[in-house]
Amino acid sequence: MSELFPAVWKQITSSPRHLKCYEQAVAALDTDTCAFLELRTDLGVSLAEPAVKEYGSLSGIPFAVKDNIAVKGFQFSCGSQILAGLRSPYTATAVERLLHAGAVPIGKTNLDEFGMGSSNQNSACKPTVNPWDLSRVPGGSSGGSAAAVSAGYVPFALGSDTGGSVRQPAAFCGIFGFKPTYGTVSRYGLAAYASSLETIGFMTAQAEQLIPIFEAASGADGRDQTSLDCSDTTDLTEGIQTVAVLAGDLGLDAPVLRGYSKAIEAFRSLGWNIVEVKLPSLDYAVPSYYTIASAEASANLARYTGVRYGSRSREEHDHQHMVRRTRDEGFGKEVKLRILLGTYVLREGFQDQYYVQAQKIRTLIRNEFSKLFTKAGVLLLPTFPIQAFPIGDGGLTSMQQKLADRFTLPANLAGLPAVSFPTGIESGLPVGMQLMGPAMSDRSLIRLTAHVSRCFPEVALPRRFSPGEVTHG
Amino acid sequence: MVEIFIGLEIHIQLMTRSKVFCSCEMISGEEPNTRICPVCMGYPGVLPAVNEQALFLSYLMGSALNCTLAQKTWFDRKNYFYPDMTKNYQISQFSSPVGRGGWMDYLEKGELKRVHIHDIHLEEDAGKMVHQGNFSLLDYNRAGSSLLEIVTEPELTSPEAAEVFLQSFRSLVRCLRACDGNMETGSLRCDANVSVNSLGMGLGTKVEIKNLNSSRFVRKALEYEVRRQSRLMQAGKPVIQETRLWNEQSGKTESMRTKEEAKDYRYFPEPDIPPFVPSEAFLNRVTSSLTELPAARELRYIREYGLTEETAHYLAEERERAEYFEELISSGTEVAAAAAWIKGELAKLQGRYAFSLSDGTLPPQAVTTVVRMTGTEELTVQQAKQVLELMVQRGIVQPEEVIAQEGFKKAEDDGELKEIISKIVAEHLNAAEQIRDGNMKAVGYLMGMVMKETRQSADPRTARRLLLEEIGCKQEE
Ligand SMILES: [Zn+2]
Repeated sequence: MSELFPAVWKQITSSPRHLKCYEQAVAALDTDTCAFLELRTDLGVSLAEPAVKEYGSLSGIPFAVKDNIAVKGFQFSCGSQILAGLRSPYTATAVERLLHAGAVPIGKTNLDEFGMGSSNQNSACKPTVNPWDLSRVPGGSSGGSAAAVSAGYVPFALGSDTGGSVRQPAAFCGIFGFKPTYGTVSRYGLAAYASSLETIGFMTAQAEQLIPIFEAASGADGRDQTSLDCSDTTDLTEGIQTVAVLAGDLGLDAPVLRGYSKAIEAFRSLGWNIVEVKLPSLDYAVPSYYTIASAEASANLARYTGVRYGSRSREEHDHQHMVRRTRDEGFGKEVKLRILLGTYVLREGFQDQYYVQAQKIRTLIRNEFSKLFTKAGVLLLPTFPIQAFPIGDGGLTSMQQKLADRFTLPANLAGLPAVSFPTGIESGLPVGMQLMGPAMSDRSLIRLTAHVSRCFPEVALPRRFSPGEVTHG
Repeated sequence: MVEIFIGLEIHIQLMTRSKVFCSCEMISGEEPNTRICPVCMGYPGVLPAVNEQALFLSYLMGSALNCTLAQKTWFDRKNYFYPDMTKNYQISQFSSPVGRGGWMDYLEKGELKRVHIHDIHLEEDAGKMVHQGNFSLLDYNRAGSSLLEIVTEPELTSPEAAEVFLQSFRSLVRCLRACDGNMETGSLRCDANVSVNSLGMGLGTKVEIKNLNSSRFVRKALEYEVRRQSRLMQAGKPVIQETRLWNEQSGKTESMRTKEEAKDYRYFPEPDIPPFVPSEAFLNRVTSSLTELPAARELRYIREYGLTEETAHYLAEERERAEYFEELISSGTEVAAAAAWIKGELAKLQGRYAFSLSDGTLPPQAVTTVVRMTGTEELTVQQAKQVLELMVQRGIVQPEEVIAQEGFKKAEDDGELKEIISKIVAEHLNAAEQIRDGNMKAVGYLMGMVMKETRQSADPRTARRLLLEEIGCKQEE
């Protein structure tokens, strides 16, 4: 695997002097990109296991972790004011496993508060910007991780994907973003937003790099009883090679449509059959997703009261008052909106109308996908209908952003693996397309993505940092 | 005439090694906040991992309570904010409890009674709040402990019946080793609901009573509540549906919250724990762990052994006692003797030396041997008791060893005893004189000398007869 990652990374992480230079360089460069919320190479190295750091499959490779994933000793803000000051007392299973493979976590990256958003503008901290164009969003919610990889600060980063939060920022930043099959990567240590939808995901500059990372991080975990081994040996490139595409007008912006057409062309050039499919229940994916996600979020975020950790309101007449004030001061607008929505749909007497209905749609979507994957090996679809949009009022409203999630949400509702891959630069910005495969086809899906990606000219990332600078300087 | 309807909601802390969703040990009485981890403290990112032993004990309880056991069971989130709840939702069971629709038989004054069980469900316990002046302290050691809730139908018809039922229930959970049954430490907690109505009119307005931490308080609170509701009825006033708190000091129940303030818990299925489908092997293990329950035992002891209700209850109440009793019988002790020795001498020794009948301190075979020796007059009853006590004291499990150490043996014949007695009488002529004058107190004194000289081996009745003959007194009886 060593050739997948430049050897210079290991040189940097094994020398305290290089490590310091590296941290200083990245910190300086990141003052305007704001990908990192905390950069602590010393802490990361102290967690690394000496033996595997030398010989593990990811030996000495530094990586960034979205700040809603626990790494012992690092901050654990989830991009929220309410968790200001919290240091994680434990490490997430996925991070533990990467440590065990020799990788070195060096910092925590920015995100939309609790993963709620697709622009990084919902972070309680200074928002991350897109390294391709500092006036544009990096996408979200794993925008900090996407920017860190795109800018070359780290060779890979962890994100979390509840409704597209790994894939969409990957598309915006011109990198690969992989959302594994639900359950194949333990969620233990991932601050819950919507438990039944989300997974930890991975972001890299090259598709092949995803393989050793997924190998190291995945597998059943006793601390997450919804986790399981990804034991399937599906080979998507075997047999009749058919790729499904959605029929009809997908409502894409012109540059995205160009990327989409090129992707279809690429499959055709590789000799694949293209079939058009209709997935009628997809029209209901957005409302179904937001109903389920908000319901789960309303319970998942109830624990943040300032009683045991995090920030607490100074006004504390009694418990109830203190909790109210703390939550009012600590949560941002979007988070409050989703908590209220979730509380609303779960009210006694209204569950059948909303929550139960949403679960039924979810089952329909699942069934449609199962049927689809008997006819085609994979589904090709855009990641997001537009490219990275401008920060602020020139961008998308919160409602428009939610509707634009329609291509990424289905993989979460159905628990299926999906990868966003860059198809090149259109109008000066990267475009990402998405491949979805059947459950447990993760490894094969990554290999197929790598295979298809070779049809496209390599995207020259806006690397602001090159590891060679540290060892030569 | 009024009719009383009482139902109980009982919570038992299951005797699992670790808490229900994390690996913290379940130990009570530790320093506050020392049995906690990120999971039971509700840190961001943690997940519950359900303890299979807790599921096992829940299914065992369900089976013992004749419930229909769930072929597939899952957890639900019960949402409410409370400082002792770390996640502000409780992982509980709402739509698919472990067991539904069972019953429990119990004996009230020797009569078999049946109470139906609505459902039993597994959940996590909350922490504890300690109020100190105008602030509160939180101890989360108990948070996340495995808790099983058992809900009965409102079929108990009097406060006394509720008390007896609860005691019988306690005996059952101890027998199954599902819970230690301790109400003072809160391992077993009980809320009661009660309604009173005119005879034949069905259920009245239900009032719930909380804070009942002994079976006696359950009875007292219910007695108070029945009186209160009956009085309201007589006065033509309505009973308000509410939750009331038992105040031990005043001996009254006090209103806590009314129905209007009742909460919407917004239950929904717990997404972090997959549904549990018990395997055949699991269910077989449940079945094979079932044992004869205390009520059935008690009834059998009365019917088969002809024991009194009181004795049968005493023996059947605790599993180890009942099993010991049965082992005494199967190793050859008569039923009446076995019961008498357990209730008498063995209970006394247990109290004095704090050992348990099942820990091998006094193996039942050894006790049978000792009891048999009293029958064959190899030991006097007094000596037998002494042998048992010495066995406990010296940690010896073979009675023969203690008997040899003490040189206990049956007095060979009256001749030897007569010799000892005449020697003692000769040495204590004054005492003999007093006895002849009718002062029978001195008999005890001389008897003590005799027994000491014979190392307790003399049969006291024989010795007394011979002593009085020697002195020249007629036997009194
Ligand atoms: Zn714990």
